[in-house]
Amino acid sequence: MSSYAAPVQDLIDELGRMPGVGPKSAQRIAFHLLKIPTEDALRLATAITEARQRVAFCTRCFNVTEGELCGVCRDERRDTTVLCVVEEARDIVAVEKTGQFRGRYHVLQGAISPIEGIGPEQLRVAELLTRLEPEAVTEVILCTNPNIEGEATAMYLGRLLQPLGIRVTRIASGLPVGGDLEYADELTLGRALQGRRDLETG
Amino acid sequence: MHLQHIWLQDFRCYQEAELTLADDLTAIVGDNGQGKSSLLEAVSYLATLRSFRGVPTEALVRQGATASIVRAEGERDHRTLLIEAEISSNGRNRVQVNRQRLQRTRDLLGFLRVSVFAPDDLELVKAGPGIRRTYLDDTLVALNPSMHQSLSDLERVLRQRNTLLRQARGRLTTEIETTLDVWDTQLAQLGDTIATERVGLVDQLAPLLNSAYASVAGKPVQIGVIYEPTWLVEGLAEALARVRVEDLRRQVTTMGPHRDDVWFTVAGLPARTHASQGEQRSLALALRLAAHDLVSTVTGSSPVLLLDDVFSELDPQRSDALVASLPPGQTLLTTAGALPSGVTPDQTLRVVNGELFAV
Repeated sequence: MSSYAAPVQDLIDELGRMPGVGPKSAQRIAFHLLKIPTEDALRLATAITEARQRVAFCTRCFNVTEGELCGVCRDERRDTTVLCVVEEARDIVAVEKTGQFRGRYHVLQGAISPIEGIGPEQLRVAELLTRLEPEAVTEVILCTNPNIEGEATAMYLGRLLQPLGIRVTRIASGLPVGGDLEYADELTLGRALQGRRDLETG
Repeated sequence: MHLQHIWLQDFRCYQEAELTLADDLTAIVGDNGQGKSSLLEAVSYLATLRSFRGVPTEALVRQGATASIVRAEGERDHRTLLIEAEISSNGRNRVQVNRQRLQRTRDLLGFLRVSVFAPDDLELVKAGPGIRRTYLDDTLVALNPSMHQSLSDLERVLRQRNTLLRQARGRLTTEIETTLDVWDTQLAQLGDTIATERVGLVDQLAPLLNSAYASVAGKPVQIGVIYEPTWLVEGLAEALARVRVEDLRRQVTTMGPHRDDVWFTVAGLPARTHASQGEQRSLALALRLAAHDLVSTVTGSSPVLLLDDVFSELDPQRSDALVASLPPGQTLLTTAGALPSGVTPDQTLRVVNGELFAV
């Protein structure tokens, strides 16, 4: 099948290893990179090199950072007693966008999934436990994905943390804001019904 | 959904095919290996998102093509509906309704419903429990598409749990134990839900099965359906705790809805071991008819009947009885031989090597 020049095929293969990029997309991106002005392509290469060289993981919460601690951990106005546990650093960005959370984060760097060879020991669980006392954490919000692996991880952490006398909460699943009820799938709607709350009329 | 038009592209042996369906009975004739069953398989894919012949969806893509497209136009609640599926050889399948792409393929479930009768239905009675669980679960999904999610979650949790059991290599460390607890809780929740649904379904099916059997066999015989998982009384969580040591030793989940069986009895005796060949055939037909009847009643519309070469396996008496018992509604049937008397198609098509001709 492969009839491209070796460097082109190498590029396609490397791109194809990216998450969410199939062989077709890899091919398209590769030829796009070959077609655009050289300096544009090299800018991407530099961005990758720079990011890899300068960005590391926060020693406290494992968010991505340029220094030793990430922006959130450096921010002294943040509430240290509430900790939001997420699977990936990108989830922090999502939660930050809500503007609803003023505590700190902890990135697990994955979710429990034996199929992928990920058990609790491969995640930043031990590091989470060592943070609780020094930072006087009183509540841990489990913000893992609402899928099988995310739920398993939340359940695992819940069982670990609850005996320590810490308030453990799980983010609610429910309906997207601005959507129509009729377009919601039954599972989401069912969860939303289960998690209903009293109407605040004040 | 009532079908009017079907288009196939690169599906099995079909490069391009288009057909208009009769309101009632469309017969598809042709020699073996020409693509009769594939046509039914395409229609049933739109209803169930898999092949009724039990092959992975990648196998549906024509040799040499990268994706097949199945498209059907029909009517539901007096509105025209166009449903489309793209089956990709890399497993990334997509679906559309009225040209709108659906977020998940499973959102297509519930638009079109089918009842498939196939020659190997006899295995429902004779073979192992797997095909009987599939029968129950398919019927549950037809009645309530959201069951599809619970069933695929079950599959995923089992894969995770079994992988963990293999990784444990028979040893129960604290780490393994706490992780196993988590999967047990998830498995127990799903298992209890699925088993409860199956119990409810069996109760609903029993009377329908008795009347379907009576009409196929020509005489009333007491038919029993028994679904009693040993773990149902204590709950799956308890049962999993009880068999944990065994699971660790065998490195597989030995208890749960994926191991259950459904038993059928004919006149009080187990159908699998005690019924005659003829009784087993009648029972297999009755099972399909009963599910069709239930889905029609509950959803308020009859699934499209897909009869894949069923008459070839039946003696004349039973095939006449089946013709008489078939509920009215849109039907597609395939046959390599002659049609039984009493079957009068509104339209007949001949398939020759992946091409359709009007007869």
